[in-house]
Amino acid sequence: MSTSSIRNEFDIDTEQVFNRMGYGTDGVPSARVESLVREYADNICHLVEPSYSYVIRDINSVRGSRVFIEGSVIFRSNVIARLLERCQKVAVFVLTVGGRLGEVVHQLSGDGLMVQAAVLDAIGSDAAETLAHVVQDIVGKEAEADGLGISQRFSPGYCDWRVSQQRMVFRAMGSDTAGVRLTDGCLMIPQKSISGIIGIGPADKVESYNPCPTCEKRDCVGRR
Amino acid sequence: MTEGDIIVRLKENVIQGRKNQDEEGIDEKLSGTPGVVELTRLALEKKILLEEIINALTAGMTVVGEKYSSKEYFIPDMLASAEAVGEAMEILKPILEAANVETKGKFAIATVQGDIHDIGKNIVAILLRGAGYEVNDLGTDVPTEKIVDFVKKESPDYLGLSALLTTTMTEMGVVIEALKDSGLRDRVKVLIGGAAVSDEYAQEIGADAYCVDGFHAIKVLDSFQQAKTS
Repeated sequence: MSTSSIRNEFDIDTEQVFNRMGYGTDGVPSARVESLVREYADNICHLVEPSYSYVIRDINSVRGSRVFIEGSVIFRSNVIARLLERCQKVAVFVLTVGGRLGEVVHQLSGDGLMVQAAVLDAIGSDAAETLAHVVQDIVGKEAEADGLGISQRFSPGYCDWRVSQQRMVFRAMGSDTAGVRLTDGCLMIPQKSISGIIGIGPADKVESYNPCPTCEKRDCVGRR
Repeated sequence: MTEGDIIVRLKENVIQGRKNQDEEGIDEKLSGTPGVVELTRLALEKKILLEEIINALTAGMTVVGEKYSSKEYFIPDMLASAEAVGEAMEILKPILEAANVETKGKFAIATVQGDIHDIGKNIVAILLRGAGYEVNDLGTDVPTEKIVDFVKKESPDYLGLSALLTTTMTEMGVVIEALKDSGLRDRVKVLIGGAAVSDEYAQEIGADAYCVDGFHAIKVLDSFQQAKTS
């Protein structure tokens, strides 16, 4: 298991932030929104307390849509099963940018400053995604050292992997969940947190796995 | 500034999302000129009819809704306009109350028990306030009993329930069943929203409507109002 807090220097991808707020590739933000996004993005380091944890576990077997992982962990999903049947190991991770940003968003919202709240919320989501890329790179380097490759990230709540499977993700993590808590409704607290898995196996088999082109959910935010 | 100018500028400044004179708006050249707050106060000083002021605010928001639908405007632009109208409504509130002018209706909104997401709910709340509804925000992670109790004591015309996840949206059905058990279901229209819910889910749990976003909620409420008066 590997747990770390990292230096909170984030390069926020402002294009992604605008994307999250619905601008897409063609929308042009007004000057005031653009300047607000830049101001918050430049100062995000004061609001985030990034930390992550991951554990690499053996895959015992895959039967139908069920994947049996070391430590009595069972993932149920066709998409995840088709991924992990190509893999030897799976990295299970939880990461967060901390609770401070959420508190400020809540405060802004309560004060009726909804534009600022919405912008900061979108930046917080991008900060969590940025941290997820960091974790993916770290797992990738670890796999590479063993002559293996990694898949894309998958999280409960996407594809056919139910949100309730968060419980299994957290079971796989053991006691170290980077300070992230799971509610009875499988909601992560702090909110700006991401959990999920990354498959580890022969590069030629795992790197190309992408269920999106055959999926009917065209409006899925995770579509790749 | 003539009375006609004030009304025209009020509408234009709602479209620009300019709360006050310090704000830029979409058109940066407007900075320093009166915003919605100053124009609302000026309209009251000039004794412009309340109805005309509210119509200007509503007309501005209608244009904003159209621009949002056509993707000329985006969430922050829409929120800036809604915030500006919200401020104007705060200024008008005591006068409306003194004149016994009724709002379009009382709307209670809550994120159901087990869910703490509030950005979407807050956006809907601010848009509904701007559209002339009296909004009571009950907060997030609100126990079913608290929602039922509010409906019983305050008799809102509408109840908006929000949930983001498939694991928490089931609580919406629990609220509707609890309203039925308390004999309150016929007293309030229930609208639901959130990333995981749909029209089909609204029908399944017996909600009156599913709303994609705040502007959709306004349209749904307007259709309820029309049905009431026809």
